[in-house]
Amino acid sequence: MTSSSIQDRNGKLEEYLQLLRSMSFELERAMSAISQNSIQALEESLSNQEAFSTRLVELADDLGQSQRETATHRQPLADDGLMDHINAASESLQKLNRRYSALLKFSSRSVALMVSLFSSYQGQFQEGSGPRLKLETWSCQM
Amino acid sequence: MPDVIAMGGLSTSLLIGVQALEVSQGALNATSNNIANANTAGYTREVPAISENAESVSGGVVTGGGVTLTGLQSVRDELLNLQIQQQTSSQSQADTTSTALSQVQTYFSTSGTDIETAFANFSSSLAALSSNPSSSSQQAGVISNGKNLAQAFNNTANGLTNVQSAMDEQVTQTVSQINTLSKQIAQLNSQLSQLTAAGQSGGTVEDQRDQLVQNLSQLTGISVTQSSNGEVITTGNGTPLVMGSQSFTLQTTTGSDGMQQVLDSSGNNVTSSIQGGTLGASITVRDQTIPSYLSQLNTLATQFASAFNAAQAKGYDSNGNTGQAFFSVPSSGTGAAAGLAVAITDPSQIAISSDGSAGSNGNVANLSAALTAALPSGKSPAQSFSDLVYQVGNDASNANTQSSAIAANLLQLTNQQSSVSGVSIDEETTNLIRYQTAYEAAARIVSTIQALSTVTLDMGASQSY
Repeated sequence: MTSSSIQDRNGKLEEYLQLLRSMSFELERAMSAISQNSIQALEESLSNQEAFSTRLVELADDLGQSQRETATHRQPLADDGLMDHINAASESLQKLNRRYSALLKFSSRSVALMVSLFSSYQGQFQEGSGPRLKLETWSCQM
Repeated sequence: MPDVIAMGGLSTSLLIGVQALEVSQGALNATSNNIANANTAGYTREVPAISENAESVSGGVVTGGGVTLTGLQSVRDELLNLQIQQQTSSQSQADTTSTALSQVQTYFSTSGTDIETAFANFSSSLAALSSNPSSSSQQAGVISNGKNLAQAFNNTANGLTNVQSAMDEQVTQTVSQINTLSKQIAQLNSQLSQLTAAGQSGGTVEDQRDQLVQNLSQLTGISVTQSSNGEVITTGNGTPLVMGSQSFTLQTTTGSDGMQQVLDSSGNNVTSSIQGGTLGASITVRDQTIPSYLSQLNTLATQFASAFNAAQAKGYDSNGNTGQAFFSVPSSGTGAAAGLAVAITDPSQIAISSDGSAGSNGNVANLSAALTAALPSGKSPAQSFSDLVYQVGNDASNANTQSSAIAANLLQLTNQQSSVSGVSIDEETTNLIRYQTAYEAAARIVSTIQALSTVTLDMGASQSY
């Protein structure tokens, strides 16, 4: 494997790391947008998330190919320090992604209830209230 | 270098999640209320009110503090509400005036028994008498048409007085309605301050109060201001009606002219200073418009009767006596039109002769001339009456035009208010669709991120080679 291809691969790994961090930032931003009931901010964040995830998948495919090649040549994919950062960022992103997923699930349910209200066009929605109930439900999901 | 830039810890994310659910619940409740009241008059749409929490700094990392749902907030435009109140008051005033003047107009329109027709018939009967002065039937015709003319004056004056009485009755009724509304508004102010003190949303109570204030503005011109104790409402001249939870009762009492006078809670007569709304219009029509018409009608009746009686006095009746007064009018003048009557009962008392000789008709010309000659007002009786008819018609038309113009303006303001405060099902639906689409897109990204986990772990695994 040539030094230029190693440089190229390292560059992609660093881009991958940066995208993982950017994606984490966007998930935080999306959750904040949902909490503020700001559909515009959520849509903007989603647009960025889609761009990041597309690029992440491309890089993952590319790096997967590189991984198979380095495995053949018995060469490391990246230095230990960079790989540690990638693993840590990935782990943080996965944790955040689970919370994001749970929030989406509950918020989707709220929207579904609203849609139901619109279709019935009468009456009032009644649900148990209070932060404790929500916290318990939320914590259980976590 | 932190693992994830600007990413909070687990507790922060949990907190944001809970807050997101709180806001979601608030939006749900607001939407629920909005949909349920989409067709409720005066309902103001609600939105969840949220406030940003302070950011926290930990280890050099700044984390957003999320948001707090502070309650539901009604979407109001107070300036727009104020404009609507003012226009409502003007609209009600113009409507009341227009309705009253439409009734007045019926007494001045051609009906066969109206003053204009009666003048024409009286003139015709005098012309017929001139050609056949000795005819007892022609003489009786003059008496009869004279009585019809007097009756037409009586009917018109009584009609005006009836409208005036109706306006007077409306003053009493309107004052009673104002008192009822003031009391209800004060009660709602009290409820609202209790709710506010308890940190609860008073949107529904505010809506009810706005609706009542709107109703009040129909009754009279009002001024609305906000104080620490709630809304303060006064009439246009500053007479207090509501101050927070306290209402002030208006009273009515019979004045020296027999009309109802409006007194404030301290007993001061505020009748002449009340403007706008049904009450303002009723008072104006009762105390200014109709008295003006009556005054002109009385003047016409007095001056015409005097002129005709003077012509009668110039001649001699069939018995050779100097012509006596043909018409009688009350001496006070104020009830001239209502009290005008034919004074003579015998046709032979008409002063036909100019010299007292039998067969003379010389004075009939003088009698006829009294119908066309200029009165002290400078115009003939017919012209004077015609002017009055024109004035009544013009006033009624103006009130009607004003009512239509204000109605158009009010409609525009109400539409504007609906776009601000009303519930738009289309808008709510569009937002829901946007949320659903966004959540579906987000769910796909969540799956992609989950799949990336395995790929990243495999990258790390390659290090072992």
